[in-house]
Amino acid sequence: MIDFIRDYGLILILFILPVIFALQPLFLPRIEKIHIQLDVAELKRKKLLIYRQIKELEMEYDIGNINENDFISGRATLKKEVSEVIAALKSL
Amino acid sequence: MTPIAGGVALNLAFGFSILAVITLFLHTRNGDQRLFLTGQRLALGISFFIFLATFILAFQLIQSNFDIDYVARYTSLETPFIYKISALWAGQSGSLLFWLFILSIYTTIVILQNQRKHNSLMPWVIITLVIVQIFFLILTNYVTNPFKPTDADFIVTNGNGLNPLLQNVTMVIHPPMLYLGFVGFSVPFGFAISALINGDTSPLWIQSIRRWALVAWLFLSMGIILGGWWAYRELGWGGYWAWDPVENASFMPWLTATAFIHSIIIQEKKDMLRLWNMSLIIMTFTLCIFGTFLTRSGVMSSVHSFTASSLGPIFLTFVFLIIVVSFGMMYFRRNELKSPRKMESFTSRESGFLFNNMVFVVLCFSVFWGTLFPVISEAVRGTKITVGPPFFNQMNIPIGLILLALTGIGPLLAWRKTGRKSLIRNFTFPILTGLSTATILLFVGFRGYVVISFSLGAFVTATIGTEFARGIYARRKKFDESIIKALIRMVSKNRSRYGGYVVHIGIVFMFVGFTGQAFDDEKEFSLTVGETDHVAGYTFELIQLSEAERANHYAWISDLRVTNKEGKFVTNLHPEKRIYFHNNPDPNRRQPHSELDIYTTMNQDIYSIFSGVDSENGVAFIKIMVNPLVRWVWVGGFILVFGTMVALWPRKD
Repeated sequence: MIDFIRDYGLILILFILPVIFALQPLFLPRIEKIHIQLDVAELKRKKLLIYRQIKELEMEYDIGNINENDFISGRATLKKEVSEVIAALKSL
Repeated sequence: MTPIAGGVALNLAFGFSILAVITLFLHTRNGDQRLFLTGQRLALGISFFIFLATFILAFQLIQSNFDIDYVARYTSLETPFIYKISALWAGQSGSLLFWLFILSIYTTIVILQNQRKHNSLMPWVIITLVIVQIFFLILTNYVTNPFKPTDADFIVTNGNGLNPLLQNVTMVIHPPMLYLGFVGFSVPFGFAISALINGDTSPLWIQSIRRWALVAWLFLSMGIILGGWWAYRELGWGGYWAWDPVENASFMPWLTATAFIHSIIIQEKKDMLRLWNMSLIIMTFTLCIFGTFLTRSGVMSSVHSFTASSLGPIFLTFVFLIIVVSFGMMYFRRNELKSPRKMESFTSRESGFLFNNMVFVVLCFSVFWGTLFPVISEAVRGTKITVGPPFFNQMNIPIGLILLALTGIGPLLAWRKTGRKSLIRNFTFPILTGLSTATILLFVGFRGYVVISFSLGAFVTATIGTEFARGIYARRKKFDESIIKALIRMVSKNRSRYGGYVVHIGIVFMFVGFTGQAFDDEKEFSLTVGETDHVAGYTFELIQLSEAERANHYAWISDLRVTNKEGKFVTNLHPEKRIYFHNNPDPNRRQPHSELDIYTTMNQDIYSIFSGVDSENGVAFIKIMVNPLVRWVWVGGFILVFGTMVALWPRKD
């Protein structure tokens, strides 16, 4: 038995540990609510992306790639979007 | 670690992959997070077993365990250590395991990176990646197993050794780069499929995969450039691109991927081209699998060897399934894929991007058709009609030049619509630069594509210069900064935009290099010690012809002294004629090989090949090629890599 463990111990550990690691969550109690954390992360990411878009829009306007009307309407749309995201974040 | 453990690891990976798909699918039905966690961990387990199998095979290669067929086929006791490692991807079964290894690295990163992100997308992303793993696990477990024992009824004391052409440092780096690129597109593909299944085709999935697509594109670009570099420095025909099916196999997904990384900008900014982007990433991934199929199935050598091999039909079935399932889902989600906004003007940046995309796809189709035509002709008419470089050059040079022109035109167009005033203001300087260049070249005596290519290069460079100048000017006006400070801040705050422009500069450099081929010169001659011959204004004198026995080959080494028209010394070149496996008692297994020597400058390369030797009479048979502007291609490649790194560098928020 000891010889077997010495010879095949490493192999057994390498093959059995991943099985235990993978199946362990099935023995946990049912997980209901991790969505809120995930939603917050998602909304924060969305907020960041919209801020970036606003910065890029300003850059496009500064170098003359978009006209004033498009800039004003584009920025207003993005600001509206970011306000909605911030409101959603506050509600969580 | 025994080879049996490698086989067991692959089997366990296969078992885990089936369980992962089932648990994740059940999670998508009932929302139980325990199933999601189990599915995630099973996917990590698959990666672990694949890592284990890969390390075991690498260990067997290093240990020269010739009881394993793969080790005996691709290494020998004389194979240097570094090439024993690269033998991992030298043969069919090893390279398929290597595919899996890289896919497992990517899958692990995707899972760990998104543990708290994209909770709706992730289950299907993992399922898609695991299904791709299942396909390769079927191949490595049941079709071409890298751990298969040697099929011999005697003890194998030495192996065949690695093909001498692959015993080159570039060949140690080039295939992993290509694979990192090919496999990398699995991740954006996984997100695309997940977005389709979830019915969320808004720009959200695009924002998640933009960096992934760029990383995969960077690796694929580096792989292609390194492949050209290897061909140029090792194969001895003086060129770096031959429109060979293996080269085309990597070029086709690069074309659609390039179109994709441009068009996702439109979806990110304007929420347009939803359907188009979905099609492009599906095409890119399919072409990556198809490229692996082309290089691994034997279909290009003969239709008959393809039908005789078991690997080819399985690959083709998988490609067929990807196309049917992906485009089927696109049809099912056709309403969600309708973009909420439409193009407003032909003279807008959106139109410019779309037109550039169309040209990329046309170019891809042209390469696809030329690559597959010999196979189709053999299958339909029984005669293989080979389509060579003249076809590809005739078709693709004009398309390539249109793309070069669009590289310059795109950035000058405004979003939504470019007014007449802006058109005149933005285009005047670049057009004048291009026209002046064309006039000077025509005056000097150049004609045809050379004039068009150089003039367009000047036009694009002027465009990019203008873009940088406008950006710096705007910042200086707004923040009162110095030119250097404005440049640094402008680039660091808009890395993807200015990184992209740097990439375009790299492309211009490469086009200059490609154009240099129009002036290539070459000559073959024989020399004894003290004799001279002349090529393209240079004189070549054979100073010495020596011999050397090295670890894995025998070499004849020539010492050529090169002088220019004025008789001034330029360089000494030492091309070699080598015989690999020279100690093998069977003369048929000894492999001759010409090791080149190249003198390279930005202006031109002097490329020397030792093509043969008459050792009894001390005669060396030499081929010299003078190739102008080749270094521009490699410098362009470095600039392209640098620009992509700038675009990829994380920004502070």
